[in-house]
Amino acid sequence: MFLHYIDLSWRSMKRTPLVSMLMILAIAVGIGVTMTSLSVYHMMSMDPIPHKSDKLFSVQLNTTDDGNNWWTEDDVPLQLTYKDAMALHNADTPESKTASVRALFTVHMNNQEVKPFLASTRIIGHDFFTMFELAFLYGGAWTSEQEAAATPVVVIDEETNDRLFGGENSVGKQIYLDDTAFRIVGVTKQWRIHTKYYDLNNGAFNSPESIFMPITLIAPLEIQNMGNTNGWKYEEINTFQERLQSELFWLQFWVELNTAEELQNYRDYIQAYLVEQGTKSRFERKIPQFNLKDVNEWMQYNKVVSADNKVLVGLSFLFLAVCLANILGLLLGKFLRRAPEVGVRRALGASKRQIFIQHLVEVSMLGLLGGVIGIGIAQLGLWGVRFTSNEYASLATMDIKMLLAAPAIAISACILAGIYPAWLVCRTQPAIYLKTQ
Amino acid sequence: MLSMKNISKVYQTEKVQTHALRDFNLNVDEGEFIAVTGPSGSGKTTFLNIAGMLEPFTGGDFMLDDVNVGTLSDNQRADLRNQKIGFIFQGFNLIPDLNLYENIEVPLRYRGIKSAERKRRIEECLEKVGLASRAKHLPQQLSGGQQQRVAIARALAGKPRFLLADEPTGNLDSLMARQVMELLEEINREGSTIIMVTHDSELARRAPRNIQVVDGQLADFTLYQNKAMDEIAAKAGQPAIEA
Repeated sequence: MFLHYIDLSWRSMKRTPLVSMLMILAIAVGIGVTMTSLSVYHMMSMDPIPHKSDKLFSVQLNTTDDGNNWWTEDDVPLQLTYKDAMALHNADTPESKTASVRALFTVHMNNQEVKPFLASTRIIGHDFFTMFELAFLYGGAWTSEQEAAATPVVVIDEETNDRLFGGENSVGKQIYLDDTAFRIVGVTKQWRIHTKYYDLNNGAFNSPESIFMPITLIAPLEIQNMGNTNGWKYEEINTFQERLQSELFWLQFWVELNTAEELQNYRDYIQAYLVEQGTKSRFERKIPQFNLKDVNEWMQYNKVVSADNKVLVGLSFLFLAVCLANILGLLLGKFLRRAPEVGVRRALGASKRQIFIQHLVEVSMLGLLGGVIGIGIAQLGLWGVRFTSNEYASLATMDIKMLLAAPAIAISACILAGIYPAWLVCRTQPAIYLKTQ
Repeated sequence: MLSMKNISKVYQTEKVQTHALRDFNLNVDEGEFIAVTGPSGSGKTTFLNIAGMLEPFTGGDFMLDDVNVGTLSDNQRADLRNQKIGFIFQGFNLIPDLNLYENIEVPLRYRGIKSAERKRRIEECLEKVGLASRAKHLPQQLSGGQQQRVAIARALAGKPRFLLADEPTGNLDSLMARQVMELLEEINREGSTIIMVTHDSELARRAPRNIQVVDGQLADFTLYQNKAMDEIAAKAGQPAIEA
């Protein structure tokens, strides 16, 4: 019977092509606009590492005096000082952890053949690769020994490898970052993430860095970070060493904690660490304050999806509702004009339920067609967003979930709009129309 | 088989109550062919609509094949209508988008009959009304008489116990009306019970039993029971109807 209803719906659409086309267009435009904003919102708010987002934790330490305000909701600074980051980095616990900071280097091969270029570089511990699941094309991460010895080694990404070495295995080869020669130990596959959740200081939706080097090189190479550096009290800082010993916040810190027990143990450890630091008169704080936030909590805390984006999604749904109101009017006209035929069907044995379902199948078909065309309109909308200078322009794509959601939303919306007209027409008293036809 | 006791039907508007039927009593036995006559507005069609469960009645008892219709839900009435009743309307009421085959298929689909069985029945009914070669035609490609034959085929396809016909020849010229009437008589001879509303007294006289509705009541019984069925059959070939 369902196929029969589809057949009847198709005939009905062919019988009133203009009205049907108008309804399909109305739903398509509504869906197009809605899916454009919803797709961007979906990509922004999507869990970037779903299978372990609850195991990766960003560490925040409040190493400021009591009463010191910060712009976070709980007054805890977002980043760590170098001495805290390195203390946690060098601690025995937990097994996987990494300090992390971004820098910028000029990359060259110390020859005439390759034109130097600027490369965004992430300075990290070697655990970073496994924690954030970067896959390797060639080689691998540097060893803990190389890291401890501050060996000048790097991992480059696939794109940089293509650019410098034509895609060949470059492990063991040398590149120059500013004036220092580095040996390549690994080449990562291109790291495609929608949200740069591990460092939200430099644009939440920017691309990941293309070069990675050991965190222990910061001190010997006196590497300046690219990103936010914040202080909370006056400090005389004239040398790089003074900067490293200062209370300036400029590094991120992540740990991987796989069980509730590991999480609790690490909480205890951080608590003890802060108490110990407090006794060194670095800051005056009665109760130690820190945060361990998993990936999704971290994104929420940093307001990766802004209120504006949510309002935009709300407005687009409002627009869809206006489209639906128009469709409802058109459906009312169309269905009620068909009341005589419904009267005949009722006389021939159709129940109200069968008539109701027949009409809901028809509106579902309108929704499906509108949804499919709406995907096309949404693609146009997203194409437009990609040409804007919005920081989230790169996110303006539709993933498979959104592609499937578009017709599902369109069908649901049309059913919603069609319930009243279908209910009205299924209540047709057959006797009224049979004589008058 | 069909029994109506003290059936009443009142149409209520804000200020006016209209009694379309009052104290309407009727018993119909299996295999009867009843012509219902009466002046315009007398309640003939209302009676037929109530008999076909197309509209509810206000009071009284209505039994159809031992089922108390008054206690049925809308869906149960739709089921019963689909199972037991076939309709033939003055305006044919064929669905214009569907070809003849599909029009006849409508009640069979609602009954949930399988495709092969539907096909067999539709072909049989189209054969019976002489339109087997027109199965793929749309209703508007046929004459009025042919359309009414399709409507009859549609009513027959469900093998109903009752055939309710509301002015089945009202829109037809005399020749076509005669053909339709002959078809109805043939169907009646094969065992179907037919209740036919008509304005045409000549046509009514061909039915073995006549009832007259006046002011919503059964006014007069004129039983033509003395007419043997074979007499009626003998008349079937003659142009007995004056349009």
